[in-house]
Amino acid sequence: MSVTVTPDPFTLVDFDAAAIADIAGRVWQQVGLPDVPLQVEVDETTPLGRAWVLQADPPVIKVESGGLEHNHKPRQFDPDNAAELFGRLLFRLKDRLDPAFGDPPSDDDLSLELSAAWDAYAMGRVERLGYKSQRPRRLYQFRVRHGFSDAADAAFNHLWSADSLTWADIEKTSAEALAALTT
Amino acid sequence: MRKSFPAEDLARDERFVRVPLTARMADARQVPREATGKRRNGGRLTPDRPDSPEAARVLMHGIFTGEIQALEGAGRTCWDFNVENTAKRKGADDDASSSDAPEVPFALKLDMARQCWDEARHTEISIKLGEHMGTEIGEFAEATFLYEAACNPDPVLRLTGVNRALEGLAIDVFNTMREFGDVSGDPVLEFCEDWMLADEVTHVKMGSDWLRRLTEKDPERRERALEFQRVVDRLFSLGGFRGEEEDSPIRLARRFRELAGFDTTEIDELAGDALAARQEAEEMIRQNRQAAAAATAGQ
Repeated sequence: MSVTVTPDPFTLVDFDAAAIADIAGRVWQQVGLPDVPLQVEVDETTPLGRAWVLQADPPVIKVESGGLEHNHKPRQFDPDNAAELFGRLLFRLKDRLDPAFGDPPSDDDLSLELSAAWDAYAMGRVERLGYKSQRPRRLYQFRVRHGFSDAADAAFNHLWSADSLTWADIEKTSAEALAALTT
Repeated sequence: MRKSFPAEDLARDERFVRVPLTARMADARQVPREATGKRRNGGRLTPDRPDSPEAARVLMHGIFTGEIQALEGAGRTCWDFNVENTAKRKGADDDASSSDAPEVPFALKLDMARQCWDEARHTEISIKLGEHMGTEIGEFAEATFLYEAACNPDPVLRLTGVNRALEGLAIDVFNTMREFGDVSGDPVLEFCEDWMLADEVTHVKMGSDWLRRLTEKDPERRERALEFQRVVDRLFSLGGFRGEEEDSPIRLARRFRELAGFDTTEIDELAGDALAARQEAEEMIRQNRQAAAAATAGQ
């Protein structure tokens, strides 16, 4: 499969488009996505780190440069952060492309709670591929969105350890954790 | 044991990495807020910010390294200055008392020793809070500008820089984090920050009291100290990261600053300086971006 990364070359960060394409392509294959071209658009004008699936078919991923950056080296590329980011996004893309998964809203229309729940489901699978997953960090993100409760932690564990959920399963798990806040 | 220890020589293990402030400010990617209106990421630290858990984690790590530096700063103040009238005290023969270092009252050193105790406790609390938020020690780079404010050779200026400027920033930061813990339903964060905030108010009050006492008969020295504080406060406004605007990630905590001995005029000046620092930073970013664009066009 082919990966196109823009811009090439970078001017505001010291990133190498070929290195980004290499990692994205490797993770793409490990996630088990079909052999179609992937486009990765890096916004190098911002140091922030948001990343999202701009469109599923043909696949386009948008990444702010902070998402691929080394925590200790400003403007330098970090392959580990990149693999983690692509793993999370590509598992979500795989879910979107699977008719059996259901029909989630676009990334822009996702609530923060459902986005955190879907991330937990994706990152558990990223961890099982052997990549850095930062489980405690993801648990904290999930708790901020679903409450600091035993019910929220149980919901997170369920999402993290699962391998074949549907969008309806994710919605239900998220809703149950939120419901525990009011009981 | 030498005095006036430079920031470069502070003891850290291999987990800690430093990035100079100049390197951060030279980053042409930084987005001026005026260019984006309401920022998708950034702005006031509230749970409705998509990146708020991450912003809170980064800030918490900054608090952790700041606590280490506050401990080091207060510890240096215990050592770097002589106790007043030491020569008259029976049996006083330590290295510090025999040097030419300025003199300070023993009670000031006692306050700094108490502050060391507080900062050490805060450091340990911050490590626990970092674990609670899923952060590893050294996950983010350390900036040493907090400690650098604690290196002034004049004890009055140092106390003013540390206890009124640095600890004043701590009040603003802890209050912001306490509020974030409250609205995100995180009792661990909320209560820990509340307890640390109480200590910081005390530290700032100590700075305000010592500034007044040590310069009671020396208005010129007091003015120099306040001017130094103003310079440090401007630096600590971090290009508008701390300020009174609605989109400032760290808000000036007026009520707690009043409790710590700041008057309304001082807080108003601080807010004005923070706004000026923000405008300066935005101008610097604009220039950096112009330079980067020119370099790209010239390729």
